[in-house]
Amino acid sequence: MENALSLDGGQTTLIAITVALTVLGLVGLALAMFWPTRWRIKYRLEFIFIIGLLAMAWYADWNSTRTYQPYQDKMSTGEPVSGTQVTQEDTFFDRTLTVITFQWGFAFVTEDNKISRNAAIVKPGEKVLFKILSNDVIHGFNIPVASITAEIDPGEMRQVWIRAPDKPGKYLIQCVNYCGVGHAQMKAWLVVEGPEDEEKTSGLTDGETTDGA
Amino acid sequence: MAHELDGVRMGGSPHWAPEDIVGKISLGTLLFSNDYRHIALKGILTSLILLGVGGIFAIIFRTELMVPDVQILGARVYMTLMTLHGMFMVFGFLIPLAISICYYMMPKVLGTEQLLWAKTAQWSYWTLIAAAVLLIIGRPDFTWTAYAPMSLRVGDNLLWMGYLAIVLVAISEFLAGVVLVRNAVAGAARSGWGNLSMMGWGCFSVGILLVVSTLPLGFVGFGLFSDWMQFGETAYFDPARGGSVMFFLYVFWTYGHPAVYLPFIPAIAVLYTLLPRFLGRPMWSYWSGVVAFLLLMIFALPIGPHHFQAAFTISGWYQRLVQIMTLLVFIPSVLHVFNWIATLWSDPIPVSAKRSVPFKFIIASIAFLIYGGATAYLNAQISVDTDFIHNTYWIPAHFHAMFLGFVGQLAIGGLYYLYPYFTGRMYNQAMGNAHFWLWQVGIFTKVTMMFIAGYAYFPRWVYDYLDIPEWTMPQMAITMGAYLIGLGFLIFIINFAWSATHGQPAADDPWPVEHDAAIASATPAE
Repeated sequence: MENALSLDGGQTTLIAITVALTVLGLVGLALAMFWPTRWRIKYRLEFIFIIGLLAMAWYADWNSTRTYQPYQDKMSTGEPVSGTQVTQEDTFFDRTLTVITFQWGFAFVTEDNKISRNAAIVKPGEKVLFKILSNDVIHGFNIPVASITAEIDPGEMRQVWIRAPDKPGKYLIQCVNYCGVGHAQMKAWLVVEGPEDEEKTSGLTDGETTDGA
Repeated sequence: MAHELDGVRMGGSPHWAPEDIVGKISLGTLLFSNDYRHIALKGILTSLILLGVGGIFAIIFRTELMVPDVQILGARVYMTLMTLHGMFMVFGFLIPLAISICYYMMPKVLGTEQLLWAKTAQWSYWTLIAAAVLLIIGRPDFTWTAYAPMSLRVGDNLLWMGYLAIVLVAISEFLAGVVLVRNAVAGAARSGWGNLSMMGWGCFSVGILLVVSTLPLGFVGFGLFSDWMQFGETAYFDPARGGSVMFFLYVFWTYGHPAVYLPFIPAIAVLYTLLPRFLGRPMWSYWSGVVAFLLLMIFALPIGPHHFQAAFTISGWYQRLVQIMTLLVFIPSVLHVFNWIATLWSDPIPVSAKRSVPFKFIIASIAFLIYGGATAYLNAQISVDTDFIHNTYWIPAHFHAMFLGFVGQLAIGGLYYLYPYFTGRMYNQAMGNAHFWLWQVGIFTKVTMMFIAGYAYFPRWVYDYLDIPEWTMPQMAITMGAYLIGLGFLIFIINFAWSATHGQPAADDPWPVEHDAAIASATPAE
């Protein structure tokens, strides 16, 4: 397995704010405890601090809403890698996969009704639309490499799209909602095929590739 | 005059005398007495037992998780231990311990000298015991959130006990809330609301929250029980029979979010009571604390849906409103922390405080509240939540920092403080320090490594995982942290048991405020 996880989430600014806030609080606490100089803080300072917090909350809300659809790899410039809201027509996407989540696994159904269990086979850089269904309990659908998570209620359909990684390989897809004793095994692979892999397709899907009903 | 008044409403109070309650008590008195000290003692001992049991469960499944693949536990046993760990720690340890300490402190701080409606508190206690017994026998494996319809399709034919336990927990917490509100109102009747101590305000706000939020929890328990038993034609949550999963999510999280404030708010009230006693001076601000308590109470109820943002059952302006309110709930917590730091900073810290174990636990718990609380800023945002936060180890990291690092440590610090008032003796200082440092190292390791695992998308609720370095390294370290915490707990129990008969007899005032002469003569900077 190669490069199954991406640690490049791209939330650098937000994480920096969080770390700064933690450090500010801890340094303040340490100074209050151990620094010999005493400081009687004016009430005014607390109001200024609250205004600062309101500004942080406003920034977080604005930033989250802006990047929510579609989610962006790099907040400022980069190309979007995935999204949770789908406004485009299906034809905008290079590939549409219907995902049936079940206890315990994923079945990926292609547009021409080919079913493969626990392997979504795509080409590098493709825009892939997942239409996700559940037929039993609440499942999760998480693709770490695309920085995306969805939770699927039974009887509902959720749509998630990703831009497949450019580098061929196997990337993890996993359930992140507890769905019964088989939850830990509920994993699938996003298989990004290079041109030379094409003839090996059936081998990667455990021989489960069959014609749809 | 003003200072004396502040002293009372900031937690200072008439003299508390150390007494040997533990040594003189008979079993019958312990179990059935309506004296507030006996009710509190019973609650404290029970919650420590449940902490021990829940902790042993954690040690067992952490051992399983130390390395990939299956070692000692299968999926079913792992999930049962995980479920009972969550339920015992939250419903059996954190909430009852925080409330028991309030049962003891309220009558003293509010000046009522008795716990009003103590029989209700008795019923609350025994209902919780019944729930714990049902959980042990029924062994549910549906996690503490019991998401329908999964929770209807697991377990064996004793699973109904799990649903019934949820109903009993709701009844128990409801009754405890009634007692807290009743006593806080009685305290306010004596002192007036404007002079009500912070303990009174804390118990009032958490009492209201308990009374309101346990109604949906009781309904969730009943609905699951009814669906599983297939009473008549009704189906509340099972979609296969016409129920609604979304209905479950909304009802459950109307309790589920306030649930995290149920131990949080009384813990804060205990901190407001103890800090002025150790420092020998009032808090920096009274009203910012009161406002923060009320804001926490008000904001807790409507923001439950942020727990299932990734399900996209909410959208548009409502989703955005939940996000904004979640971000704003940050403010009351920061008001509290600001107040504490400002109080500590304003005057020299007495050397007597720096020496004492409970004060160390208070300071460490504030540090963990800052550490765990700051990450809430990320959790609240939908874009980040739907990336690496939702149901990865990031979430357990966040709530272990808050629940164990803050609430748990503060409650344990409160127990060190109360020790002479229950036994008439002092705990062993060296063992207290060992416990303190083992917990700081253990909890910090565990929480930090959980954050790292979560950032690498390690999913929650798994007993087996892929053998990749981003996942195996943190899991090993979390287990080591858990062992340190377990060792610290062992030392804590030995200390309390040994000191009850062998400790130094407590002085008339066990917590005198003593300044070092050199520091005391220095004037404040301003």
